[in-house]
Amino acid sequence: MNFFLKKILIVIPTLYVAWTVVFVTLNIIPGDPVNLMLGGRPASDEVRENVRHNLGLDKPVGERYVSFLINATKGDLGKSYLTRQPVTKMIKDNMMPTIQLSLGGLIFGVFFGVLLGIIAGSRPNSLGDTCAMVVALCGISLPSFWIGMLLIFIFGTTLGWVPIVGEGFVALILPSISVGLFFAGGMARLTRSSLIDVLNQDYIRTARSKGISKYKIIFKHALRNAMIPPVTLLGIQFGLLITGAVITEEVFARPGLGQLLLQAILAKDIPLVQALIVYMTAVYIFLNLVVDFTYGIIDPRIRLERKAI
Amino acid sequence: MKKIFNIFLGISTLIFCLSIFNTASALNVVFSEDRPDLRTLDPRITQSRHEEMIIVQMFDQLISADSNGNLYPGLAKSWDVSSDGLHYTFNLRDDVTFHDGTKFDAAAVKATFDSIVDPETGSQGAVDILGPYASSDVVDEYTVRVNFSRRYGSALSAFTETELSIVSPTALDSLGNEGFGMSPVGTGPFMFKNWEANKKVEMVKNPDYNWAPEYMDGSGPSKVDTLTYRLIKDTSTRVAALESGEVDIAELVPPLDMKRFDGSGKLSTIVGTVSGLPYSAFLNTTTGHFQDIKVRQAFFYSLNRVKMTNDLFFGYAEAAFGPISSATPSYWKGNEDYYQYDTAKAESLLEEAGWKMGSSGIREKNGETLSIFFPCLLEPDTCVAIQGYAKKVGFDVNVEVVMKARQDELIFANGYDMLVIRWVSLDPGVLIIPFHSRNIPKPGKFKFNWSRYSTPELDQLLENAESAETQETKDDLYMQIQKTIMDQAIFLAIHDQVQTVAYNPNLEGVRFANGNWQLRMYDVREK
Repeated sequence: MNFFLKKILIVIPTLYVAWTVVFVTLNIIPGDPVNLMLGGRPASDEVRENVRHNLGLDKPVGERYVSFLINATKGDLGKSYLTRQPVTKMIKDNMMPTIQLSLGGLIFGVFFGVLLGIIAGSRPNSLGDTCAMVVALCGISLPSFWIGMLLIFIFGTTLGWVPIVGEGFVALILPSISVGLFFAGGMARLTRSSLIDVLNQDYIRTARSKGISKYKIIFKHALRNAMIPPVTLLGIQFGLLITGAVITEEVFARPGLGQLLLQAILAKDIPLVQALIVYMTAVYIFLNLVVDFTYGIIDPRIRLERKAI
Repeated sequence: MKKIFNIFLGISTLIFCLSIFNTASALNVVFSEDRPDLRTLDPRITQSRHEEMIIVQMFDQLISADSNGNLYPGLAKSWDVSSDGLHYTFNLRDDVTFHDGTKFDAAAVKATFDSIVDPETGSQGAVDILGPYASSDVVDEYTVRVNFSRRYGSALSAFTETELSIVSPTALDSLGNEGFGMSPVGTGPFMFKNWEANKKVEMVKNPDYNWAPEYMDGSGPSKVDTLTYRLIKDTSTRVAALESGEVDIAELVPPLDMKRFDGSGKLSTIVGTVSGLPYSAFLNTTTGHFQDIKVRQAFFYSLNRVKMTNDLFFGYAEAAFGPISSATPSYWKGNEDYYQYDTAKAESLLEEAGWKMGSSGIREKNGETLSIFFPCLLEPDTCVAIQGYAKKVGFDVNVEVVMKARQDELIFANGYDMLVIRWVSLDPGVLIIPFHSRNIPKPGKFKFNWSRYSTPELDQLLENAESAETQETKDDLYMQIQKTIMDQAIFLAIHDQVQTVAYNPNLEGVRFANGNWQLRMYDVREK
């Protein structure tokens, strides 16, 4: 338990440093939040001063920083400059679509990626291997906006099978494939190399010499041992997804945290960026814990080692 | 295999359900946003033309204007202006209620306007449109007098603007300014229902609506039962959703797609020339080579704006010539005689100014090249087209595509030769903001006079025009203003702003609100 407690406690200094960096950076880069908010529209000095006052930007920088830290300790991360809504509410509003898309992408990516990996890894250098790796390469290299537009064109406009911007589960299919393909590419390559590695181990040769069927060897003996590296990748990539897939969100007109963060940075919306940092830090720490747990499940030796320490 | 088939069946059933509900009485509109999300649906606070597209469906104004700017009774049956031009008395309708059941009366008008000028409200648009507002008096239940501190020539058109919509005072009290922006209450043909952040705003028809302005086709409640505005930023997705029939109306459709729809007849289209400042460039008169009027004029002559606009917009936008668009009141026809494409004239002006053609095709003088720094925030395609034309007569135009923050820094530092701009505005009164000398930016003071041109004569004309007594003097003063701006060659109009809309051909009654930017959905119905 000590191990997990340590991981959680390290959050506090991490957040403090991250907030300070964000605050300083966003104050240094050019642009005035009031101007960015008015978006280039004519406005009198009166309007500007009102907005500045309402946002609390008329206070000195140091004072703003200190009051942010004090409020944050109390759990109040402030209001967005842009929308004047509490930033926690904005994140909450955008979180669900992001989680849905991430899970959709994850399920598609893992399923498709591991499948490709097995096809390729079980018979290296075969035709199946080459084909699977070409697909994986496409998944990694093709830009997601292009895949997204292609999917919309084929399945939305031409065939009309799925709605382009509809609601609910059906609206999740194309975006999930679009982000999942990238995911699948990495998974496939890693599963392949890891599987080839495991299949050359002595115990597999032993299993084979005992006459166990090929499928049983792969699924029961090899795959489990081969999954450690892909699970690590899974953790990292899922972390990327759940903090927002900006381009896919844009192409499929989905709300989400990626858009939120991008726009918050462009508009110098300091409270929102800071709150998103909290969210992302939390997500990464949580995912790391989950990945650590999963190692133990996949390979009991890791669990034992941890106990020994 | 069977399982896969079942899943497929499930999906297709779902799609079928969706398409059943996609009837004309449920209208789906897509719009785009160049910024984060909608921030408020409060007309008193907004300054975003995207937010106004939605706000206009839910609110009414004292005076209503059709898309040509003709005035009609709105929430006010009639109005009187005092001889000194300081007091506007409105005789209000007595049969109007807000969506929350509050009666519309003189007190509501007073509460709305008073709250706009209250700094706590944080108004970003309305407070400027309300101009020299002093106070409102409730004369009786349905008569209100609005007082200005000085003559305000744009007052009548101001009262038609979406920003000056009348809001429910009870809702304001109970929701507060921020709450009201999230669930607005007005008197308009549609009532707010739901807003999903970054995704859509849903409205339902106001069943009690019986006060449509007379230029509308319909009367009584709208034929549209539910109205959904769906945010789709990506242009190709917006067009795809329209073509697949998922949405009924799309705004800001790219010209090439408009052309395709008009050719195939698959979708109906309308185009509005937006009133206000056209897409234009300020030429900086205080630094660099544009300090010399001959160089500025040569630059104007070097551009074939008609061809350029046609090449870029395929006939869906017109070239612009004056500081305000041809759709704006008090537009002066004389603008069109200035600076017509003439490279020979451009060259001779540059020669007169001492700029000789160098070996690389760029003009030179005293060892300096004729370089122009052009930070481009809007429409990079157009900026590059300008660069190409100007090159032909020997300008070296240096286009840098910039973000807003970078542009602001350059403005503060006076570090640019040209900057582009465009504005939606219903009144030529907007000209005071980019052309009065008090609006020249300073470090830390963001202002809009980016050509930094300053003469007491132009300032005086702009001030006089703002408080002009009659339409004739107003037109005359704005004519002189436009002429001065053109003579001095400080502001290069390039093309009109257009709103390109494509919609389901089974619909009719799609019309623009005044200013030709927002659409009014009240009249939309199935053919």
